[in-house]
Amino acid sequence: MKEFQPLPARPAPVKTVGAVAWMRENLFSSIPNTLTSLALLAALIYFIPPIIDWAFISANWTGTTEDACVKEGACWVFVNAWSYQFFYGTYPAEEIWRINAMIVLLLIVIAASFTLPKHYRLKVSIAGWLALPVIGVAVLYGGFAGLDVVSTDLWGGFTLNVFMAAASIIVAFPFSFLWALGRRSQMPFIRSISVIFIEFFRGVPVLSLFFMGSVMLPLFFAEGTNVDKLVRVWLVLIFFMSGYMAEVFRGGFAAVPSGQYEAADSVGLSYWQKILLIILPQVIKISMPNILATFVMLFKNTTFLLIIGIPEVVQTLQSALSNSYWLGGHALEGYLFVFFVFWVSCFSMSLLASRIERQMNTEKRD
Amino acid sequence: MLRQKTLEETKASARRASGNSASAAFYNNPNIRAIFYQILLVFGLGYFFYSIISNVLGNMEATGIKTGFNFLGASAGYDVLMSLISFESTDTYGRIFVVGFLNTLLVSGIGIFFATILGFIFGVAHFSHNLLIRKLALIYIEIFRNIPLLLQVFFWYFAVLSALPGARDSLSLGEAIFLNVRGLYLPKMVGGDLFWIAEVALGLAIAGIFVLRRWAKKRQDDTGKQFPVLNTSIAMVIGLPILALLLTGLPFEVEYPALKGFNYFGGITIIPELMALAIALSVYTGAFIAEAVRAGVQAIPNGQTEAARSIGLKEKKIMQLIIVPQAMRVIVPLLNSEYQSLVKNSTLAAAIGYPDLFNVFVGTALNQTGQAIETIFMTIIVYFAVNMLISFLMNRFNNAVALVSR
Repeated sequence: MKEFQPLPARPAPVKTVGAVAWMRENLFSSIPNTLTSLALLAALIYFIPPIIDWAFISANWTGTTEDACVKEGACWVFVNAWSYQFFYGTYPAEEIWRINAMIVLLLIVIAASFTLPKHYRLKVSIAGWLALPVIGVAVLYGGFAGLDVVSTDLWGGFTLNVFMAAASIIVAFPFSFLWALGRRSQMPFIRSISVIFIEFFRGVPVLSLFFMGSVMLPLFFAEGTNVDKLVRVWLVLIFFMSGYMAEVFRGGFAAVPSGQYEAADSVGLSYWQKILLIILPQVIKISMPNILATFVMLFKNTTFLLIIGIPEVVQTLQSALSNSYWLGGHALEGYLFVFFVFWVSCFSMSLLASRIERQMNTEKRD
Repeated sequence: MLRQKTLEETKASARRASGNSASAAFYNNPNIRAIFYQILLVFGLGYFFYSIISNVLGNMEATGIKTGFNFLGASAGYDVLMSLISFESTDTYGRIFVVGFLNTLLVSGIGIFFATILGFIFGVAHFSHNLLIRKLALIYIEIFRNIPLLLQVFFWYFAVLSALPGARDSLSLGEAIFLNVRGLYLPKMVGGDLFWIAEVALGLAIAGIFVLRRWAKKRQDDTGKQFPVLNTSIAMVIGLPILALLLTGLPFEVEYPALKGFNYFGGITIIPELMALAIALSVYTGAFIAEAVRAGVQAIPNGQTEAARSIGLKEKKIMQLIIVPQAMRVIVPLLNSEYQSLVKNSTLAAAIGYPDLFNVFVGTALNQTGQAIETIFMTIIVYFAVNMLISFLMNRFNNAVALVSR
């Protein structure tokens, strides 16, 4: 008897697999969809090639002065010639290694707080984060161990944005934690003070806070005290940031199941033991995506420092645009470059935030 | 809930016990500790504010800055670029405050309006069946959310609007709307004698909508029959004033902007500062609102759509009756905070010289009078008040869309 031989499976109809099916599904699923797709494709074909041509093909890449820009397209020479100022401001060239070293240190601390073995990761990374602003200010300012003093008037550029954002969020961290605790406190006076503080710094335009820092704050100090402008702005950023972060932490505290609080109480931990050992690690973990989102906001807001005359990157760009050797109208190139720098940093941080969020979601599902 | 209450009670009784027993030291009593900490805080804060106030007074005396609000009555001596009410440089600081306030409201209102439209379009586009539309929405959101607003304001002002042609080569639309480097020029409707009838008709139409809505809801509750409220309302708002205008014999003239010398005059002028700020605010906040809309729609379980399909609702009705009402619960609180940050962000007017409240008051008035504390606090209070108003309105709206649990 002949053994039964099944016929080989027929290939799936051409309509359901492959590129044709993909296009039917995504671009031409109905008549209105087909029309919109065609219109959008036509628009893309019309607009994209000239943009690519302007930005890359007929762009000017090499040279050092405006005269090098002879071709039709973008004059990237402008960005090239000013890139040093865009990144470092007027920081003296022979001291640049300090900024670079601090950036490397920042990256090391970031990497450490994600990759170290779990049982000492928290301790090491907290120590690292708390030491970072102190070391950063000391090294960048100098004045010890043979390092020359670099006055804060000379600080500037994109690295100043990074520095201001990082230094403020790190210092704001413990404060915001205290404010969030205060807002949850049973003690009426402490609670109302915390609420007033948080709502004030969240409800006021950040620009008016900067004006307070630069115009009003000097009045607050005793006569004759002269506090550096950058330090005053730093203080303002810390307050501003701790208001926002306090709300993030408040959400985190509320998200920790009440059983955790009760369990800690029942084993007889004191208030601070309960908060620091049981609750805080969970709060930080839960709030991580929101902390990153708040940091992105702070980072974008450091550009507002321009309004009170601090030479951060946009201010540097504005003065480069009005430089008498570069009057050929390079606004578009300059803005696109700074756009790109900010976009890459902010977008990668939001990607990181959503990755952490996804990880946490899967953990919850188990 | 019950468990929590018992825990609180246990704690309270433990507290009482420890307070009453002679064995525990009084400084271990939580109640006494709480009072002690709060008294400490009161004294700390009191000293802090005392030293600040005495420093401020000392510093002001030393530098000869006047205090008080008398400066509001003094003549300002400078002009503002744009004003919705009449203003001359001899007018007072008080009037400048009002001018700035109105300009802030104007740019915030325009920004909120267009940001909401952009946000809803791109937020819904994220769920389109068309891949290109989905990707374009994603690109819009991810690009404009992640670039600082100040840069966007500068981009529109210095890179786009400054690159427009001069007055003589203006871009024009039907010889009525003109766009050049000096601004956008729109035709203006100047009402004649009987124009008030059309205005009354518009008012009646708006009042009629409320009556109509109430009637339609009552009819649906009683009989189950639906009435096309939205379409009728739109028809009323547009139709009634037009009808009134036609009946009264078109009592208005249209004033077109015309080129005289080096610039256009007549009609409505929108200065480039306002345009740049409004565009940047709308585009930036629109990206955030689109995210909020996306989150709101995503929060609705798929089963809702499937259940709606299974009882035979059409796609449009599913959106209208099932998806949108539920998504609004997530969207409205997010919209609330986006609107508030838009109002706060409108202070960036100071960067390009649009005369909003912050710019004319904390910028110029502070500079001229030196009265930092008064000007900054007056301005802050206004922003607080506007944001509280937004919050109040959005919370009422939120109550209207909130889930009524039985």
